[in-house]
Amino acid sequence: MFVESGIRGLDEAIQGLRLGDNVVWQVENLPDYVFFAEPFIEKAARGGRNCVYIRFAPHPPVLGPRSGLEVVEVDPVQGFDYFSREVNRIIEERGREAFYVFDNISSLAVEWATDELLANFFQVTCPYLFELDTIAYFALTRGKHSNSAIARIRDTAQVLIDVFSVEGRMYIHPLKVWDRYTPEMFLPHEVGGEEWSAVTQSGDAAAISTVAANFALGSRGSSIAPWDRVYDKLVVHCGKGEEPGEEDAELLALKEEFRRMLIGDHPEFNRLARRYLRLEDLFAIRDRLIGTGRIGGKAAGMLLARRILASASEEDGFDFSSLLEDHDSFYIGSDVFFTFLVDNDLFRLRLKLTSNSHLTYEEFEEVERRFLAGTFPPTIMEQFRNMLDYFGQAPIIVRSSSLLEDSFGNAFAGKYRSEFCANQGTPEERMEAFLKAVKLVYASAINPDALSYRRKRGLGESDEQMAILVQRVSGMPYKKYFFPCLAGVAFSKNFYAWSSRIDPERGIIRLVFGLGTRAVERVGKDYPRMIPVSNPELRPESASEVARYSQRRVDLLDLEANEFTSLPLHELLSGRDYPGLYLLVSTVSDGYPVDPVGRMVDGPPRDFLLTFNNLIKRTDFCSIMGAILSRLDAAYGLPVDIEFTANIRQDESVRVNLLQCRPLSLPGTSGPLLIPEIKPEARVLFKSNRMISGGVVRNIRFIVYIDPVAYGAVPSPELKKEIGRLVGKVNEQPQVAEGRVMMMGPGRWGSSNINLGVNVSYGDIHNAVALVEIAREEAGHVPEVSYGTHFFQDLVEDQTIYLPVYPDHPEAEFDHSFFKEAPNRLADILPGAERFQDFVLLIDVPQATGGLYAQIVADPRVQRAVCFLE
Amino acid sequence: MAEINPFEVVRKQLDACGEILKLEPEVLAALKEPMREMHVSLPVRMDDGSLRTFKGFRVQYNDARGPTKGGIRFHPDETIDTVRALAAWMTWKCALLDLPLGGGKGGVVCNTKEMSAGELERLSRAYVDAIWKNIGPDVDVPAPDVYTNPQIMAWMMDEYSKVRGKSQFGVITGKPLCLGGSAGRGDATARGALYCIREAAKTQGLDLKKATVAVQGYGNAGYHIARLLRSELGCNVCAVSDSKGAICCMGGLDPDAVCEHKAETTSVVEFPDTECISNEDLLEMEVDILCPSALENVITADNAPRIKARIVAELANGPTTPEADEILHEKGVHVLPDFLCNAGGVTVSYFEMVQNFYMYYWSEEEVYERLDRKMTAAYYAVYETSREYNINMRQAAYVIAFKRVVEAMRARGWI
Repeated sequence: MFVESGIRGLDEAIQGLRLGDNVVWQVENLPDYVFFAEPFIEKAARGGRNCVYIRFAPHPPVLGPRSGLEVVEVDPVQGFDYFSREVNRIIEERGREAFYVFDNISSLAVEWATDELLANFFQVTCPYLFELDTIAYFALTRGKHSNSAIARIRDTAQVLIDVFSVEGRMYIHPLKVWDRYTPEMFLPHEVGGEEWSAVTQSGDAAAISTVAANFALGSRGSSIAPWDRVYDKLVVHCGKGEEPGEEDAELLALKEEFRRMLIGDHPEFNRLARRYLRLEDLFAIRDRLIGTGRIGGKAAGMLLARRILASASEEDGFDFSSLLEDHDSFYIGSDVFFTFLVDNDLFRLRLKLTSNSHLTYEEFEEVERRFLAGTFPPTIMEQFRNMLDYFGQAPIIVRSSSLLEDSFGNAFAGKYRSEFCANQGTPEERMEAFLKAVKLVYASAINPDALSYRRKRGLGESDEQMAILVQRVSGMPYKKYFFPCLAGVAFSKNFYAWSSRIDPERGIIRLVFGLGTRAVERVGKDYPRMIPVSNPELRPESASEVARYSQRRVDLLDLEANEFTSLPLHELLSGRDYPGLYLLVSTVSDGYPVDPVGRMVDGPPRDFLLTFNNLIKRTDFCSIMGAILSRLDAAYGLPVDIEFTANIRQDESVRVNLLQCRPLSLPGTSGPLLIPEIKPEARVLFKSNRMISGGVVRNIRFIVYIDPVAYGAVPSPELKKEIGRLVGKVNEQPQVAEGRVMMMGPGRWGSSNINLGVNVSYGDIHNAVALVEIAREEAGHVPEVSYGTHFFQDLVEDQTIYLPVYPDHPEAEFDHSFFKEAPNRLADILPGAERFQDFVLLIDVPQATGGLYAQIVADPRVQRAVCFLE
Repeated sequence: MAEINPFEVVRKQLDACGEILKLEPEVLAALKEPMREMHVSLPVRMDDGSLRTFKGFRVQYNDARGPTKGGIRFHPDETIDTVRALAAWMTWKCALLDLPLGGGKGGVVCNTKEMSAGELERLSRAYVDAIWKNIGPDVDVPAPDVYTNPQIMAWMMDEYSKVRGKSQFGVITGKPLCLGGSAGRGDATARGALYCIREAAKTQGLDLKKATVAVQGYGNAGYHIARLLRSELGCNVCAVSDSKGAICCMGGLDPDAVCEHKAETTSVVEFPDTECISNEDLLEMEVDILCPSALENVITADNAPRIKARIVAELANGPTTPEADEILHEKGVHVLPDFLCNAGGVTVSYFEMVQNFYMYYWSEEEVYERLDRKMTAAYYAVYETSREYNINMRQAAYVIAFKRVVEAMRARGWI
C-alpha cells in the first residue's frame, strides 16, 4: 500500500513508502534529517496516524511538540540490553501501523562504545517494526561507522537513502528501496521543487558520484564509536603502559572511559579499579579480548584481586608475586554475546523469556538446541582460532562472566555454566568442542534457575550481558588425567565457626583434591576439608568420623576420553606415586587416620583418606591463603570469597592460582543488612542473639512448632522417630512448601541421638526457610551441635536461616502465649496426623493472627535476630 | 527429659543381684562405693600461648581381682558419676570373663573437636603426669574409649615410660601395633560375640548353617559380626541396617559388598537387589539370630512381644530395656547380654597386657584361639547360672560377676 512521505518529490523518486518500511537516512547533519522527518510526521499526524518520536540522543530534538505526536524518551546509558528491550516494549504497546521517528542512532555507538551494538540494535528492532506494518525513520551520520556495521544496517533496512550536498545543492541517492523499481530510482536525485529530477547527465552524475561514492559505504577512517578511538588516543599518548600523571586530566578521563568500556561502571568496583588497575593492565585486557565489549564480573574480579595482591607491599609479610601463578586468560567481549543472539535470531526469544517467567526445563532444552545450532561471524571465528592455537592442547575452561555476576550484592553463584574443554584432538575437533562450550554458557544466561534468581533479586530488567572468561586449567597431567593438586574456595570471614576458639575474622578454606567443582558444588556424600585459617588443624569431626566426612571422589579431565569425569580416590591413587601424596592423605589404621611420617605412605590405597593433614602442618599453604584473604578483605573493605587452585612443588613450596574473587555473599543475604526498627505495635515472637546465619525472610505463613517440654516427655524412642518422619511429611506438603515454613523445635535437629533433639535428616526440612533450635535448660536440650556440622553446612548452602533460641532467657522475649494459643492445623493439612497433635503444632500464621505473617530479620554481623508478626 | 544418674542405676543393679545371691547388706554397701578416685586439674598450654586448665578423673572401682582396667574418655559432658558407673561396669565385665583384673575408668572434660593435635598431645601427657603414681602395669591399666584413640594411648604410654625412666608398654592398652598393640583387636568385639553365638546355637539346638541373621547397625561391630557369621559359621545374613534404614534380602547379603556400598554412599540403604524396610521392621523380622549392634534401648516393652528371633546377641551397649528383658525371657528368647556378648574387646586388651609382660607377641590366630576359650567359658558360666537360679541371662551374668568379686574380696579379708 502506497503511503505518502509528505514530500511529493520523494514519493515520486522512490515510489512512495510502504507499510513495513524501515527508512534509514544517511545524513551529514541533523537539519538534513529534519528536512525529511518533519513533513513525514506532519502528514501522518494529520491523517490521524499514531505517531511516535523516540527520543534518546543528546542532539536537539528532531521534531517539535505537536498534536498527534507522542514523544517517548528512552535512556541509552543503561546499555544495549535495556535500551533494546524498552524500544521493543514501546513498539509492542503501540501496535500495528504506528509511524515512528527515531533520533540519530549514531549517538548510540558513542554511548555503547562500539558499532557492533548499534548494528545489533538495528537488527533486532527493524524486523519487529516490519512485522507490525509500521513505518520508521532512522538517521545515521555518514562516514562515522564501520563498513561492516553499515552493511548489516543496509541488509536489514527496507529503504536506505544517502543525503548529501554538492556545491550548495542537496541530493538524495536511494541505495536500497525494497520491492519498488523504476529505471531511474537508484540514481542521485536533486532535491528541489515539486518534482525531483534524477541526475542522468553523465557529466553531472560523475561529479556528484565522486562525492557520494566516497561516503556511500560508511567510514573512510575510524568510526565515531569510542571503542577504537579511545584506545588509539591512549596508545598515542601513553605508549604501551605509561601511567597518565595526576595533572593530565584529559588522559585520566580517557583511561576512565577505557576502563568503563572494558569493565563496567559499578561505583563500588570503580573505586577499587581506579586505585589498583593500571593502564598497562587495561591494555593487557584489550590485547586478549575477543570481539568487543566488556569482560564481565568474574573476569574483572579475578584481575582486580590479582592486582591487589601484586601491589601488596613487603609490609604484608608476603611477596605475593612469587606465590601466585601467572594467568594467560582470554576474554570474549559481551558484544559478541549480543551479536550471536542477533545473528542467530535468538534475541527476541531471550526478550520473551526474561520478561515472562515460566520456562520449564524441557523448554530450556529446546532453547539450548537452538543456541547450539547458532554460528559466529567470521572475524570472531578467526580470533577463536588464534586463541585455540595459542593454548594448543592445554585443557581450558570456558567460564561465564556476565556483567552482573560476582558484582557487589549479587553473586549468581553457580547460576551460569562453566564448561571444561579437555582440548584434545585435531584443531577442528578442539574448535568444535570449544564452540559448543561457549554456546552452552550463552544459553545458560536464560536457564530457568538464573531467570528466577534474577527475578527474585529484582534484576529481571537489568542489563545482563554474557561475557566469557577462557582460562587455562591449572594443574598437571597424571596418568591419563589432568587436574590441579589442590582446589577450592575460601572466605575471608568464617560464618560457620563451630568452636569459640576459631576466629571468624580470619576466614575459612574449603579444600579438595582435583578440580574445584567438588568444593563449590554440593556433591552428594562427599565432603571437602574445612580449614579455619585461625586454627587450621581443627575440624568439626572427631577422629573416628573423619573417614565419613571426607572427599571420596576426585573430579578431573580425562585426556584420552577428552572429557570431564570423576574417579574414586583409591582408583586414581592406586599407583601410590602421585607427587606429594604424603601431604594429602592419611591412612586409616585401627579405624583412625594416621598421618604419613616423612614421605612414606603406608597401607593400601583403599585406606587413603584425604585429610591434607601434612599439607596443613608442613607447608605454608594455610598462612598463604590467610594472607591472601586478609589482604583482599582489607582492600575491598568487605568480606570476600575466592576460588583458587594450588600446586605444590617438590620442595613443599606452594603456588596459588587465584581464579575468582568477589564480595562474599553471606548465607541468606544479598548485601549488608540492618536490623529494621520494629514498630512498637508489632508483636515479637522471639529474639536471638546467638545467631550464626543471617538474612531476611518475609511473609512466613506456616510455623511447625514442636513443643520442647512435650517432646521431652515422649515416652518411647519410636514415637520420637515418628515425629521426625512427620516433620518430613509436613515439609513435603505443597501448601506448606509454597507458603514458606519455619520449623521450631527442641535441641539439636538432625542429631542421630533422638534424645538430643528432633530426629530429621536434611531432606526432611529442605523446604523450610528458617530452622529454629529451642534450648530449654530444664529439658536438657542444648542447640549448637548443628553448628559446624554438615547438616548445618547444608542449611548454609541452601540459605536457610538457622537460629538458636533460649526461651527461658528474658532477652529472648519468647512469646509463650502465642505458641500456646494458636490453633493447630496439623490434622487438616495432614490427615491422619491427629495422634501427633500433642507434640507438633502446625500454625497457619495469618489464620491465627487475623492476616499477619511472621517475619525474620537476622544480621550475622552483629549476631542478632528477631522474629515478629506484621 | 529428667537426667538419670548412671551411678544410681549401678547401685540398683547391685541391690537386685544382692537379693538373688542373698548378700549381706554390709557387703553390698562395700560394693556400692568406688575404692579409689582421683580428681585432677590439668593446665595445658594452648597453641595461641594461652593456658587452659582441664578437669580430669580416674576411678579405680574395685581391684580385688587384680589391677584395674578401663578406658579414658575425652568428652565435654564428662561427669564423675558417669565415670564411676562405667568403672563399676568394667569391674563386673572383667570378672565375668574371668580376667585377673578389676575395673576402672577415666575421663577428661574437653572437646577434642576444638583442639589441635599438639594440644591433644599436651593434654594427654598432662593427664599421665597427674595420675602416674597411681597407675601402672600392675596397678591400673587404661585403654582408649570415647574420643580417644591409639595415638593418644601412644603419647600416654610414652609419658609414663619417661617418668618411670624405662619402657612401660604394659601401662596402657589399645596402642598402635608398632608400640606393643595386639593383633586381632580390629574385630575383637565381633569375634567375641561370634563365639558366644556359636555356643548359644549349640545349647538352643540351632543349626547355624541354616540360620538366618538380622544385624541392626552397620558400624565396626555390625559389619564384622555380619561378615564373620557368614564366613566362619555359614549363616545367612539376610538383613542389615544403619541410621538411614534397613535392607533385606532373604536369599542372603554379601556383607563386604554392603560395606563398600556404605563407604561410597554413607548408608547401606539402596544396596542393589534388596528390599528397603525400616529399622523397626528389621527388629521384628522372622530370623533366627538378631544382633542389635548400634543403639541403646531399641528393644522395648513395646516391641519385645513381636521379636521373633531365637537368639538376641547384644553387640551394642544396653539395647534391651529391663522390661523387654523380662518379656524376652518369658517368651523363651535366648539373650546374650551386652557385657558378655561384647566383652571380646576388653579380653583382647587383657591379651595385650599379657603380651607386653611377656615381651613376646602372638599371631592373630593365637589371639583368636585364646579369645575363643575365654568367651566359651564365660558363655557356659552364664548359661549354667541362669538355669541354676532360673533367672534370665543378664541377671545370671551379673550374679557370676558379683560372686567372683565378692569371693576375691573375701579371700583377701576385706569383707
